[in-house]
Amino acid sequence: MRARLAAVGLGAVFGVAMSWGQFIDPDRIRDMLLLRDPYLYLMMGTAVAVGLLGTRLMRRLGVRAVLGRRPIGWEAERPARRHVVGAAIFGVGWAVADSCPAPIVAQLAQGALWSVFTFAGVLVGILAYLRWQEEPAPARSRARVRGRAAYRLD
Amino acid sequence: MIGLAVGLVTVALFALLNQRVGVVGGYSNLVERVTGRTSRLGWKAWFLFGVMGGALVFRLLAGTSSVGDGYGWLTRSFGSHAYAAVGGTLFAAGMLVGFGAKHAGGCTSGNGIGGTSVLSPASFVATGTFMATAIAVTFVLKAVA
Repeated sequence: MRARLAAVGLGAVFGVAMSWGQFIDPDRIRDMLLLRDPYLYLMMGTAVAVGLLGTRLMRRLGVRAVLGRRPIGWEAERPARRHVVGAAIFGVGWAVADSCPAPIVAQLAQGALWSVFTFAGVLVGILAYLRWQEEPAPARSRARVRGRAAYRLD
Repeated sequence: MIGLAVGLVTVALFALLNQRVGVVGGYSNLVERVTGRTSRLGWKAWFLFGVMGGALVFRLLAGTSSVGDGYGWLTRSFGSHAYAAVGGTLFAAGMLVGFGAKHAGGCTSGNGIGGTSVLSPASFVATGTFMATAIAVTFVLKAVA
């Protein structure tokens, strides 16, 4: 219950910040992606600098999380192919919609009805991803073999 | 100012829950719950509800929408009554956003802010890739649409 309240509260701060900074206005995002407006990059840079300092400081001091009491820590992930491929797919969608997951729900909450389409698309994209991941590995390689055989016959 | 607030949310999520900020995970949580893949909503779904609540409160206090009229370049290019064209394009773009973010292990928030804040190399690769791709695609769209 307390974890839910914390998540809702911090999410609300995030939602206000996105709205206040106009990161939910597709034209503003487009201007930033056209490099006419540095605001997005300054915002992300500041956020990462604050996040970096805060998390390093807490880890160095051995602070424990308020809920769960576990020592604050994280694992650094090695880059893999999926980080490039997935991010490239994501980048195309972001550029076309001029919106990404947090702004999409913020737009919806502000009554922007066009974002119903984007929101539904995200859900379907995630469902497609989950199904793809759940497909058993042997079936996937069989499909590949079949594909190759068909190619050779052609 | 906004960057400071977003950075503090990142720090507070670690301080309270020992978790990395992320938004697409909340959508995923909803999909998994609705399709019976999981039996409960985790903190990420609640964070997503919070984002909606915060945006709604901001809208009510500001007295006007922060989204602007129509929908950016799409309604300018196709017209504000081109429901199939604009809606279909947004739906397709949303699918790419959802699939791509899941595959890359995070969206603009999860990789771009949460992962880079803890200096995760994978998040830097993902952030560099989606930034470069989005900038390139936007320039192409501006040239053709």
